[in-house]
Amino acid sequence: MSVNHLIFRNLKKNLKNYYLYVFALIFSVALYFAFVTLQYDPAMNDTKDSIKGAAAIKAASVLLVGIVSIFLLYANNIFIKRRSKEIGLFQLIGMTKSKIFRILTAENFFLYFGSLIIGIFIGFSISRLILMILFKITGMDAVASLNFSSEALIQTVVVFCAIYLFIMLMNYVFIKRQSILSLFRVVSSTEGKVKKMSIFEIIIGIIGVISIISGYYISSKLFGGDFTTMYELFGAMIFILGSVIIGTYLFYKGSVSFIFNLIRKKKDGYLNINQVLSLSSIMFRMKSNALLLTIITTVSALAIGLLSLSYISYYSAEKMAENQVAGDFSLIKTEDADQFKKELAANDIPFNENKIDVIQVDANLKEILGNLNGLMVDPKAMTTPVISDKAVKNIDVAPGETIFTGYNDLLQKFMSLKDSGNIEMKGQNEVIPLKYLGLKKDFVVSGYFTNGGQPIAIVDETVFERLKEDVNPAIQKESSIFIGITLKDEADLEKANDLLIKMNVSDDNYFSSRLEISNMQKKTMGLIMFIVGFLGLTFLITSGCILYFKQMGEGEEEKPNYTILRKLGFTQGDLLKGIHAKQIFNFGIPLVVGLFHSYFAVQSGWFLFGSEVWTPMIIVMVIYTGLYSIFGLLSVIYYKKVINEAL
Amino acid sequence: MHILEANKLHKSYGNKLNKQEVLKGIDITVEKGEFVSIMGASGSGKTTLLNVLSSIDKVSSGTIKIEGKEMTAMKEKQLAEFRKHHLGFIFQDYNLLDTLTVKENILLPLSITKVSKRDADEKFNAVAAELGIQEIKDKYPNEISGGQKQRTSAARAFIHGPSIIFADEPTGALDSKSASDLLNKLSELNQNRKATIVMVTHDPVAASFSSRVIFIKDGQIYTQLNKGEQSRQTFFKDIMKTQSVLGGVPNER
Repeated sequence: MSVNHLIFRNLKKNLKNYYLYVFALIFSVALYFAFVTLQYDPAMNDTKDSIKGAAAIKAASVLLVGIVSIFLLYANNIFIKRRSKEIGLFQLIGMTKSKIFRILTAENFFLYFGSLIIGIFIGFSISRLILMILFKITGMDAVASLNFSSEALIQTVVVFCAIYLFIMLMNYVFIKRQSILSLFRVVSSTEGKVKKMSIFEIIIGIIGVISIISGYYISSKLFGGDFTTMYELFGAMIFILGSVIIGTYLFYKGSVSFIFNLIRKKKDGYLNINQVLSLSSIMFRMKSNALLLTIITTVSALAIGLLSLSYISYYSAEKMAENQVAGDFSLIKTEDADQFKKELAANDIPFNENKIDVIQVDANLKEILGNLNGLMVDPKAMTTPVISDKAVKNIDVAPGETIFTGYNDLLQKFMSLKDSGNIEMKGQNEVIPLKYLGLKKDFVVSGYFTNGGQPIAIVDETVFERLKEDVNPAIQKESSIFIGITLKDEADLEKANDLLIKMNVSDDNYFSSRLEISNMQKKTMGLIMFIVGFLGLTFLITSGCILYFKQMGEGEEEKPNYTILRKLGFTQGDLLKGIHAKQIFNFGIPLVVGLFHSYFAVQSGWFLFGSEVWTPMIIVMVIYTGLYSIFGLLSVIYYKKVINEAL
Repeated sequence: MHILEANKLHKSYGNKLNKQEVLKGIDITVEKGEFVSIMGASGSGKTTLLNVLSSIDKVSSGTIKIEGKEMTAMKEKQLAEFRKHHLGFIFQDYNLLDTLTVKENILLPLSITKVSKRDADEKFNAVAAELGIQEIKDKYPNEISGGQKQRTSAARAFIHGPSIIFADEPTGALDSKSASDLLNKLSELNQNRKATIVMVTHDPVAASFSSRVIFIKDGQIYTQLNKGEQSRQTFFKDIMKTQSVLGGVPNER
């Protein structure tokens, strides 16, 4: 058997084992190539203008390389350790180390560059699809056509060749450092499996749980008003990050085996087959895998959290735009409004008009303001937009009363209002005391008047007239009339929007369009979501693969155990049930912990991103969980094969 | 009463063109409470015979009955069920699960049957006392000696009171002191519990602990020796004699 023959045989065998590795490699090459192609694509100029699309994609591709190279190096590390016996055998029969290295290099070369070529090919064919997805998400009307970019090709090849060289370097160091003896021993030395539980471990476990919980606790307080200055806020964030990550590590290192140990102690040796295969096996590997699981959990949490947040802002784009505009279109100049109405009429677009007078009044809100969280305003003289109750349907306040309306969660966090209390409206000459009755959610005037999200006060018509007579001109806005236009037929929205844009109103501040704002938001958040989405997917696949490879190794190692158990009379079904339980833990624990982390991360700051939290977050989590479970299923299938062969 | 009855066992490996017959029509009967050794040179087919008798391997033709139930006709699932309740195993390389403590390993066969925890504890204490492994019950296999491992393995084989126990070279990896310790324990258990033991070995010393020795050569039964009333020493000499006649390489041990 010649060396070439040997290489070929190894390759054939490995391909069957490492199909997932090849798949992950092809996937990452394809994605990277597609990203780089986008980066060099002239069509991206469109996006580039507004939000630096190419730069964002470039940053994403750098991150992608980071994730992929860590994955490849790690996977390679697993593989070479697994083949240490074979390497030892080659050495034993007199092959030199450099010859073994050459064999491995050649073998890897075919596997790696084969995947690279396929990956580039696929990447090229899907890059158009990816561009179409991007356009779809960001709501752009460009036609997705792609040219083969030789720059992209060169960049991809160079980057992946560099990674290949790194892998080879690692293999070289690995082979160089090993003697024949240690090669035979490598598997047993890395799994220092069976040890007794110590008090120390129990303490570590408890500390882990405590630090995770305290991190969660602080995160729920993050924007609750306890941290007022920038430094405190920043410090709190660092603390949360640190305590959660370290806590996660300690949790894996100690808590899991600690909890399992309690269960096991209680059983007093009387374990059933499920527990034999899951409990005892996980307990001991949990420790050696603590670091890996921590990394996977943390980055999963990060991916889910970021995906959720970007999806939240994408998802709430329309809602936010609605709040900003208070209608389909809002204008603040009567002449603009008249022109727009004429245009609408000329185009047969039916609409409703809603005119509201808005004045700005300094109000003493001291009594009803909770805390201001370092906001630089004077609660005794806050400039507040005021309208008459006549302008709002369904709301009628008595002369001595007022209702506030139109708040968002973000403002509520920084400027919380109490349920009731007394306030004062200060005009030039007189001060009108009013009874504050509460806060409503509806937005009745556009963001122009509310400084982006401040609640407005609704007062009785007579009070409004008195305040209007007595206004302080210094704090008034340029316009004090809000003209809201709502179309009767939603289908005309786009057409009407075009008309408004064509009118060339001199200043952007003079009008706002719901469609325009929501599109703008979607464009920005869409690109971010697109990038985060693909990075998240890459991470999902690579981390899933790593867990799968780990399980493959474990399965091989535990094969003798399955042989014993089957000889003792356990059926394949019995064993498989135990494996199910084990895999639910192995894949489930990092997933559940990751989901919890991201849940708390999202809960602590979602209001900065949008107005809806549950739907988008749950959608993201469900999709992530679904895709992630595929790897768990694959590993169960692999175990099934191992168990089958065990007897 | 025949606890094990095997008729005309044939076993061959390989395909039609290149067929190798390992067992060529073996008939064996084992009575309840017997301690039978199977001896033979390497390649004589003794391990194959044990695997076939213990349902781990399938015969090419022939029938095996244990307690009157025909095993050769059973499906894989039934066989597993049968092994669970009626068979016990002791292997040369112990076959203990590294991740479980000694006690957990021993209790493993009970976990499938519906034995209450108290009964299980009782059974464990009884068998552990007999084999002298009570002190090490909370240790893991890598913390105990080879002899202790094999006694653990034996305890596991005995705990659920199987109809028959198969031992494959149980002393193969032990030093002579641990080996004779184990064999003494085995014959004690054989007498106290009326347990039936079928042991494969190539060691005449080990074989001399049993009540009957079956010699196998080239896949057929060559001869049998009964211990009867004679002492272990004389029985050992008989075995040695037969073994040298058999033409296998006499074992130095």
